[in-house]
Amino acid sequence: MSNATLTLSPPESEVKPTTPLDGHDPTMLISMRNIWKTYQMGTESVHALHGVSFDIPRGEYIAIIGPSGSGKSTLMNLIGCLDTPTQGEYWLNGKNVSEMDDDELARIRNQEVGFVFQTFNLLARATALHNVELPLIYGGIGASQRHEMAKKALSAVELTDRMMHRPNELSGGQRQRVAIARALVNHPSILLADEPTGALDSHTSMEIMDLFERLHSEGNTIIVVTHEHDIAARAHRVVSIRDGLIEKDERIK
Amino acid sequence: MQRGGDDEGQPQRFSYARADLPARITSLSLFRLAAVWESFRVAIASLRANKLRTGLTLIGIIVGVTAVIAVVTIINGLNETVAQTFSSQGSTVFTISKSPQIITSREDFIKFNRRKDVTHEDAEAISRLCPACWRVGIAANAIETVKYANQKAENVRIRGVEPITMFDIDGVEIDTGRIWTESESDSGREICVIGPDMLKNLFSDAPADQAIGKDIRIDGRPYQVLGVLEPLGSIFGFSRDNVVYIPYSTYQRVYGARRSLVVFIQVPAAEQLEAAQDQVRTIMRNRRGRALDDPNDEGFALETQDVFLNLYSSATSNIYYVTLGVASVSLLVGGIVVMNIMLVSVTERTKEIGIRKAIGARRKDILSQFLIEAVVVTALGGAIGVGTGFGLAYLISALIGFPLLISVMSAVLGVGISSFVGIISGLWPAWRAAKLDPIEALRAE
Repeated sequence: MSNATLTLSPPESEVKPTTPLDGHDPTMLISMRNIWKTYQMGTESVHALHGVSFDIPRGEYIAIIGPSGSGKSTLMNLIGCLDTPTQGEYWLNGKNVSEMDDDELARIRNQEVGFVFQTFNLLARATALHNVELPLIYGGIGASQRHEMAKKALSAVELTDRMMHRPNELSGGQRQRVAIARALVNHPSILLADEPTGALDSHTSMEIMDLFERLHSEGNTIIVVTHEHDIAARAHRVVSIRDGLIEKDERIK
Repeated sequence: MQRGGDDEGQPQRFSYARADLPARITSLSLFRLAAVWESFRVAIASLRANKLRTGLTLIGIIVGVTAVIAVVTIINGLNETVAQTFSSQGSTVFTISKSPQIITSREDFIKFNRRKDVTHEDAEAISRLCPACWRVGIAANAIETVKYANQKAENVRIRGVEPITMFDIDGVEIDTGRIWTESESDSGREICVIGPDMLKNLFSDAPADQAIGKDIRIDGRPYQVLGVLEPLGSIFGFSRDNVVYIPYSTYQRVYGARRSLVVFIQVPAAEQLEAAQDQVRTIMRNRRGRALDDPNDEGFALETQDVFLNLYSSATSNIYYVTLGVASVSLLVGGIVVMNIMLVSVTERTKEIGIRKAIGARRKDILSQFLIEAVVVTALGGAIGVGTGFGLAYLISALIGFPLLISVMSAVLGVGISSFVGIISGLWPAWRAAKLDPIEALRAE
């Protein structure tokens, strides 16, 4: 070993080199350049991502796939502005978010990113309507407009009749649709879904994937992070992550 | 599916038509208002979801605020009573007596007991030799049972006074009838002026004029009622109207001259008080000087009403300090309990904090959410404490008999202080919540 750092990277020759790009592409919705993420584990540095670069244009439906430990979750956290890269540039909708502080990132998450989680992550004590309104509350939108927008978003996921129900009164598929409405309500730049069907049966999973397809056809940019190939196959472009690098980036539709 | 214009039930299109987005409220205050209201809503919901925990959390705060409110209210009421009571005599009166009215030790009691009695002659000397003195009178008290027909009043203060200006010095006024004349007084006849309690207890609350001319019996002797006094009210539950005034000459004849009496001296205005006291002190020293066993003892006590007021205010200030101590300790303990519960609450709701952060809550949104929750708990405790404090004060005032003065100020203070405790004890837990990493927080179960 030439150094003491523990990396999970395979020999250079086995990895398909990522497109060498200089500077970000301002025409792209997302433009990542040479992104590194390093975690300090005691005295050792662990590189979760080493030098990832790619672009996502507006209106794309993209799946990020990879086994656990591939750096896929780290990449998702970075795309979702929950975290900042150790090194590299990340441009989202014309803004360099790689060097923002906590509160600026919160603002970006509020306005540019709509999250859909595997376990829905709805507030248990709040009604569906209130859950959907939550991003608007933190976005500073007045009560009457907030109501209107939340109802519209719930109607977009066909849950108008379940608005006043709490999450424990809804089925898994309905909960995920509430979460999708919450993600969409603030008209974000990207819809970022982390294993969106991981907690659902196969029939409901298909319904949710159909909904994503429809939302894409309506012009939304959708990024699905998954380890399931059949879920990834619904996207139009699949980026495979392995050992902290992009292994494959292919258009399938 | 065919539908005419009405697209209800049909999924709404959702896309990047961001142009039709409503204008964001950029004004900071309005922006905060929505988040603050959300925090308030969440706080109430979380308190309601944990009723038992909330109740237990509140106890310390409630006890502290109750103690403060009850004591402040009671002492305000007592102050009012005391102020009214002593203003009837005012600061223009002082007394000469054998021993002070308040004796604090056995040694003193023995010392004072060895002194010569204050006598009628002492009063005459003061009256004759003190130019600064305006009115000089003597009074002696006995406690007796008084009867009329088949009714009786117990523990009545029988006050023998001379001359009739003692009524003015005592600050009492005739309501009905008259005071005795000087010749009546000199003759030592069995005549009296009664306090209003006598009407109530002996004459079944009959109108005052029905008592005039009647004979009441004090220790078996008949006394003719000449007049009825105006009521003075009560202090600390003791009625000041439970009294019968009789001429001192009569008192002396019945109860003997051997009892020491009290000389009352009144000056026209408070400014002359000191000069009059100096003159009276000189006169009394001259009269006592030769007969003293103890050269350090003057042989008499010169006192003003300040003695009571000083005793009273030192007693109440002690009560204030003790209460303040109790309240501070319970608010401190209450604050620690609130902090502890808030830390538990932050830990329990780590996931929720992660969700809120993921969808755009900033540090100050989370901070204010938990701060507001802490303040809501403590303000609620404060409000309950104010209520129980006033309730307690009401019960005690009804028992002892003094006016209940409910001050809005103390209510505001009670809720204010407890809210302040909430802010202080909520700060650290709220800060811990605010700086949670959203990724870590989302991972929590």
